[in-house]
Amino acid sequence: MIGLLLCLPAALVLGVGFVWPVALLARISLNRTTDMGAMEEALSLETMAKLVEDDFTWELAWNTATLSATCGAIAVALALPVALLIRSAPPQWRGLLSLMAVAPLLVSSTARVVGWMAILGDRGMINAMLAFAGLTDDPVRLINNWTGVRIGLTESLMPYACLVLIAGLGRLDSRLEEAAATLGATRTRTFLRVTLPLAAPALAAAFLLVFVLGVSAFVTPRLMGGGRVFVVATEIFDLALETVDWPAAAAMAMLLLGSLALAMALRAVVARVPR
Amino acid sequence: MSHLTLEALTRRFPGAPHPAVDGVSLELGQGALLALLGPSGCGKTTTLRMIAGLEVPDAGRIRVAGRDVTALPPHRRNMGVVFQSYALFPHMTAAQNVAFGLEMRGTPRTDRPARVQEALDLVGLGKLAARKPRQLSGGQQQRVALARALAPRPDLLLLDEPLSALDAKLREEVRDEIRGLQQRLGTTAVFVTHDQTEALAMADLVAVMNEGRIEQLATPEAIFERPATRFVATFVGRAARLPATVVRPGLLRVGDAELHAAETPAAGAAEVFIRPHHVRPLRDGESAENTLPATLSRRTYTGDLVTLDFTTPAGRLIADLPGGSQGSDLRVGDTLRLGFRAADVRVFAA
Repeated sequence: MIGLLLCLPAALVLGVGFVWPVALLARISLNRTTDMGAMEEALSLETMAKLVEDDFTWELAWNTATLSATCGAIAVALALPVALLIRSAPPQWRGLLSLMAVAPLLVSSTARVVGWMAILGDRGMINAMLAFAGLTDDPVRLINNWTGVRIGLTESLMPYACLVLIAGLGRLDSRLEEAAATLGATRTRTFLRVTLPLAAPALAAAFLLVFVLGVSAFVTPRLMGGGRVFVVATEIFDLALETVDWPAAAAMAMLLLGSLALAMALRAVVARVPR
Repeated sequence: MSHLTLEALTRRFPGAPHPAVDGVSLELGQGALLALLGPSGCGKTTTLRMIAGLEVPDAGRIRVAGRDVTALPPHRRNMGVVFQSYALFPHMTAAQNVAFGLEMRGTPRTDRPARVQEALDLVGLGKLAARKPRQLSGGQQQRVALARALAPRPDLLLLDEPLSALDAKLREEVRDEIRGLQQRLGTTAVFVTHDQTEALAMADLVAVMNEGRIEQLATPEAIFERPATRFVATFVGRAARLPATVVRPGLLRVGDAELHAAETPAAGAAEVFIRPHHVRPLRDGESAENTLPATLSRRTYTGDLVTLDFTTPAGRLIADLPGGSQGSDLRVGDTLRLGFRAADVRVFAA
């Protein structure tokens, strides 16, 4: 009873700050936009239908999904060695190493983008080095395009992947790897036959989390894409604040929310299948 | 010729004040079972892990079947290890667990199913081959772990407290099974335990360890009846411990009494150990090498044994008598004479 009572403040904040705005958004998505561009109170799926019929919506969805999947997969792949290293480190070092792995989260994503600009820009660190080495005449475009967004998004997702993997692999009993070694397995075979299969649930959980975060990422695609990269999140922003087509922005947001919920449900079903 | 030889094996963990294992040397013959017995932190598990190759010794050598394996990684040592927690692969069935070692050791694919079945039949689990570890009971998991360790026909079977996770009744059953299997297959084995009953019941040879060193390496009988050090006498079995003074070789002053002992240290302060099963009540006119008048102060009935606490001029003595035997019906306050042999009085310098 007291436990429930103590949860009340959090429930209140969630209700006012999340549930209510989403409900409002859902209501707006059912409104119509007149030919003049004004919002008209209605209860119709017209706006949503228009979006679904529009090829550009599907292009956006495809862009967003492939971007998040690629960056998410790379982030998880890069985080795995980090998590494995932290797991095998002496206990007194694990805390510090874990903190270092997730330290990028302590820096605002806008500040990180500015950092990337200094590194990836036409006159940034990498291009300066390439030019100095005489490898390139013209600067390689590493930012303000899809390449830039991929680099930035992967980097910003990695700490989350680390966080999930460190927690997931921490529960993996190192005796199992020792047992494999005593049975004649080399380190490589131990990794492929024992460590990796047992880490699979953690890898899946990490991928799902960073995929979802990637789909809803706005700052990185917006700032590192230089206006040339269009994903669902940037489109919602443009619809709401540039075109000022609130019903369309709300409908797009609801479609995104719906597909993410579907992905989560799918994952829950897959996880319940006995292996 | 010895099958397993340890030479001055030493392991010091970084930052630890004392070495975990400190110059352990021993030899074990082919087909014998050695128990490393000692309290937690005595270095027995570290010794086992060094033999397996899971821990690298700072000094010393390990030889198995004439081959120096000290520098070899675990996967090149051909040893079967049963871990305390069994460490079965949870994502594989019992059969796949057993097949893993065969595959890694290069057993031809066509031979594997028969070898897996053979190993599982050996531990009586032939019918549960398709089960995952979580679908097996603790005792069954233990048996799968044993089958997995034995299937590749290892040079040495290493067991780290394999019975500690089982309940008392099952423990005895599995204990006898492991021993029977080890003898039948003629596999040389090393067994780590803190349970003296396990060590005494299973082993051909017991090494009692304390603070990284072997206190005594001997047969179970010798360990129990003729402990070499005060630590062994204290750690293995129960005993009445009495402060004493060595008067001259063979004669001790214990409390207000004089006792004869077969072996005594140099004159001076000492401690006397007398095991409960060596002390017996004497009939009228019966004599013994040591006799003491005694008064029964407490009687504890445990079914097959009656434990009697006596007050004597030498101090408090304990006697274990089979339930229903002569003297077992004594009552608190009864007085009588106790007798025991000089050879059963163990004396250590204090």
